[in-house]
Amino acid sequence: MVNKKTIITVFVIVAIIQLAVPAKMIWDKESILKTGKEFKFETAPVDPSDPFRGKYITLEFKENSYKIQSGSEWQEGEEVYVILNTNSKGFATIKDLSKAKPDEGLDYVKATIQYITGPLLDNVIVSYPFDRFYMEESKAYEAEKAYNETQLDSIKTTYALVNIKKGNAALKDVMIDGVSIIDIVNENQHKNK
Amino acid sequence: MSIQKDIRELIEAGIITSETAKKIEEHYAKKSSSPTNRLFVVFGILGAILVGLGIILMIAHNWDELSKTTKTVLAFLPLILSQFLCVYILLKKSVSKAWVESATTLLFFSIGACISLISQIYHIPGNLSSLLLVWMVLFLPLIYVMKSSVAPLLYIVGITYYAAEASYFSYPNFVPYAYWGLLLAVLPQYFILAKKSPKSNYLTLENIVIPLSVTIALGTFSSVGSYFMYVAYFSLFGLFYNIGANNLFGSNKTRSNPYKVIGALGTLTLLFVSSFEWFWLEAIQSKNELENWITYVSFWVALGITVLAIFYLLKLLKTKSIRELPIFAPLFLVFIILFGLGQFSSSVWILINVVILAVSILTIIEGAKKEHLGILNFGLAIITLWIIIRFLNTDLSFIIRGLLLITIGVGFFTANYLMLKKRKTNG
Repeated sequence: MVNKKTIITVFVIVAIIQLAVPAKMIWDKESILKTGKEFKFETAPVDPSDPFRGKYITLEFKENSYKIQSGSEWQEGEEVYVILNTNSKGFATIKDLSKAKPDEGLDYVKATIQYITGPLLDNVIVSYPFDRFYMEESKAYEAEKAYNETQLDSIKTTYALVNIKKGNAALKDVMIDGVSIIDIVNENQHKNK
Repeated sequence: MSIQKDIRELIEAGIITSETAKKIEEHYAKKSSSPTNRLFVVFGILGAILVGLGIILMIAHNWDELSKTTKTVLAFLPLILSQFLCVYILLKKSVSKAWVESATTLLFFSIGACISLISQIYHIPGNLSSLLLVWMVLFLPLIYVMKSSVAPLLYIVGITYYAAEASYFSYPNFVPYAYWGLLLAVLPQYFILAKKSPKSNYLTLENIVIPLSVTIALGTFSSVGSYFMYVAYFSLFGLFYNIGANNLFGSNKTRSNPYKVIGALGTLTLLFVSSFEWFWLEAIQSKNELENWITYVSFWVALGITVLAIFYLLKLLKTKSIRELPIFAPLFLVFIILFGLGQFSSSVWILINVVILAVSILTIIEGAKKEHLGILNFGLAIITLWIIIRFLNTDLSFIIRGLLLITIGVGFFTANYLMLKKRKTNG
């Protein structure tokens, strides 16, 4: 029979780990949000749902492909460092892809290669680690609608506000022409009432 | 209770003394825990599962009105409360099973709720499979610490969900190797339970959940060289059957021997699937897929399972002669030979049909010999299904198809009638 003291000690250790894992998740994200560099990624949202975490909008980014030299050894599902730049409109663009961790001076984010296309297999499509924006149940669909409406208006732009620090990213908000999509949905729901 | 009535009668008739009667009563009282107590456990577990799932659904709503801090506090609150509850239970000297089971179940769901809510607040991407993996790893030690009986069941369901989510439900998918490690981690508890209380209901439940989980998860290897997977599955069901026939986990009865049932039903399903000609035509077409067989994970998986199945078959042969061997025990070896032949000729499907017929006839004979209605009807059911699949789809005229069905029906009646009659005369 195992000693009761040992069992309690083991339980307490397990309990601390159970608390520490989610706490670490928070810590990592908070640190990126507080001290990371902000980027804007142009996007196109749609709304699926997850059984445990609820409704979210999936973000598909316009700047997600990069031409590589054909015949390079890239594989689908592989991790890749995306080195970022900002264009004249203030949106993030891909400057380069790298297998090795880039220098500290560069802005980069860890992503995965979703697939490789093109007749020469030289067009890499990356998937960023910030493709889900969780929203309140009733608002995810509204958000998608609001987005579709802006699409008719070609001047408006939708983008995700993302902080990046040492290759890790934290998604802050999704914006339509500088206004948070949550505020837009709230306003629309208010108007409809 | 009827036994008390019987005991009184026996005392009055002078067959047993009142002292013996007391002993008998005590024996039965010890043996069966009171039914109300068991009911408490069941309701405790059900309540905890419902509350836990309820909390997760409430969280999934994603409350905009709450600030980030409030949400974070709410994420940790159920987790901390159920952790305290568990510590309290561990500290207490004697505590009812209902408490242990409900508290552990609550803790199980609070872990899920907490990490779900955190990843919701911070829009952490990761697909569902990675969330389930973290959840199950965090819960795993509690199976051993809390010594709860529901814990391994919840955990096995969780890791199966993880494997299915990673491989079947999402794209791009991957082979969830972690599943096998997680499964391995729960086995010591399983072996201890089987040794300590071979008659427990929880063991029967694990006997159902574990083979089903493995059956679901095995398919995750099937990305390349998928035809080896048929061998792997055939051997897996053979392995299950032989584990059941060896009575490794619990008693002899069919009802509490899910390994045998799952093994037999799985084997039959595969036999029926491979009894069509198209199955073997496709096998020949995808032959070049098997060229690099030595590099395929599926080949090694199939080999490993087959070796295990042979091991348990040999073990079974130590207690039984070849004549007494149940028909389902060595079938996986037959399939491997047929699978080899199938690489050269598609007419193997005819042999598979012969095997199905042989299985059903041998099962019927076994049922008749043992005077077991269940086995007899199982054999009849196999042959009926076979006739339905083989003949009812073809272009035979309605008259012949009708006659076939009538013959089967009459066959069922006569077989059962003769058996019952035989029983009566014997009894």
